[in-house]
Amino acid sequence: MKLSKIGLSLFTGAALLAASAQPAFAGEQKTKPILGIPKSALDDFGGAAGVHAWVESLFYYIMLDNRISHIFREFGNVERQIALNTQLEQMVLGGAVEYQGASMSAAHADLGITMTQFNAVVEAAYNACERNNVPYKTCNHLIAALAPFTRVIVTR
Amino acid sequence: MNGSQGSKLRLWSCAAILGAAAAMHSGLASAGYNDGKVFLTGGVFTVDGAGGGGAVPWATITGYETRDGINGGVGYTYANLPALQLNVFGGAIGFYDRFELSYATHKLSLNLSNLDTVALVAEAAGLDLGTDPWNSTLQMDVYGAKLRLFGDAVYTSDSWIPQVAIGGLYKENTTKELIRTLGANKAKDWEAYVAATKVFFPLSTLVNFTVRYTSANEIGLTGFGECSASGCTNDKEFRFEASVAHLLSKNTAIGFEYQQHGGNLDGKSVTVAGLPLTGLTDLLGGVLGGVEDALTQEKESDWMDVFFAYAPNKNLSFVIAYLMLGNISVAQDQNGFYMSMHATF
Repeated sequence: MKLSKIGLSLFTGAALLAASAQPAFAGEQKTKPILGIPKSALDDFGGAAGVHAWVESLFYYIMLDNRISHIFREFGNVERQIALNTQLEQMVLGGAVEYQGASMSAAHADLGITMTQFNAVVEAAYNACERNNVPYKTCNHLIAALAPFTRVIVTR
Repeated sequence: MNGSQGSKLRLWSCAAILGAAAAMHSGLASAGYNDGKVFLTGGVFTVDGAGGGGAVPWATITGYETRDGINGGVGYTYANLPALQLNVFGGAIGFYDRFELSYATHKLSLNLSNLDTVALVAEAAGLDLGTDPWNSTLQMDVYGAKLRLFGDAVYTSDSWIPQVAIGGLYKENTTKELIRTLGANKAKDWEAYVAATKVFFPLSTLVNFTVRYTSANEIGLTGFGECSASGCTNDKEFRFEASVAHLLSKNTAIGFEYQQHGGNLDGKSVTVAGLPLTGLTDLLGGVLGGVEDALTQEKESDWMDVFFAYAPNKNLSFVIAYLMLGNISVAQDQNGFYMSMHATF
């Protein structure tokens, strides 16, 4: 009786802990573009290595852009940002990859990102595609997959 | 009297647009200045002045501003068709990707030998038909406003809801006599439209549908409504328009447009001083055979075009198109070249 009570409270405590920890590790869900993402999208991008190379180019162009570079610099640990973005981009393109970062809303909630800054990142994304010889049409599948995040990223 | 008022108004609006453009360019309005929109997503310069394709206004707001500021530009369009040449100059300003003001002025030169003949006769008879024995020029000013209602044409890739805007245009044709000669009722009138635009990223394609409420003949270049022996009418109707633009790369697009037209002036004879020209055919009789037939206006065709658009950078875009405008007034098969430039600040 007593033991089971202790067991129950331990269990509830653990459950509560897990629940409270949940939002921080909620991660992000795959988006659902209306026309879908073709099965070949990730391969077209050059697989995991291709996406990683693209994210590195993305950050190269972001860091060159005075309108947005400070935001990413202040956030710090660019290597980690590149690693997490590589996971996220693979996931939204349909890759069986676990994204270990925070949700898009949690990650951007306090940054006060404007539409102009968001568009600047999109421009960097297209530049990165060109730099990495990712065809425009393939690039647009990634843009389609990331576009719905606009709602939670742009808060101003 | 009216003409001078019109030209004064035109001068003012030109000055206002150039002034605003200069202010934006020199950074006087730097507090509101913004050019953060992604390539070509503001559309280009339509013949109505509004942001959109070539003839069809889109739901997108002109210029490269986002919701954070103001942007705008000036445009020039030239169309060369067998019987006519159209020059359009104008400008548009977009406010916070929400509201747009536009202005365009048209100069349409008609090189119609049959109309020139009428002009010769009219001149000999001392009648003012607004025509000229060598060529006749139609002039029109277009003032426009557009309000974005809801939706995001670009980023809502997980929803079928397009960006939707409503717009109004006030068109003032300053060559009233020629409008009357061509059988139209009014030289100035308003139009209203609803436009829905959406970018489909997986297809790299932008699709726009517009419904326009209007009584225009050839977008107003040959007036609004019609007059006949039984009186004048100016009945507005809903007409359908569409643009499809496929992006080959982020700054290059190809596509086509369609614009439904009305039939107010179909089968009407060119009129002289309120009388159908039939009265004059006796006079012309032996000199020119079949003059009556030649002065009967053709069935107004819907407009179609295929285009190529290129924006080397955010400050400049070019559109080259092949226009298929069909029958215009007394002329058939008006197909030809279109070139438009849009400079944004």
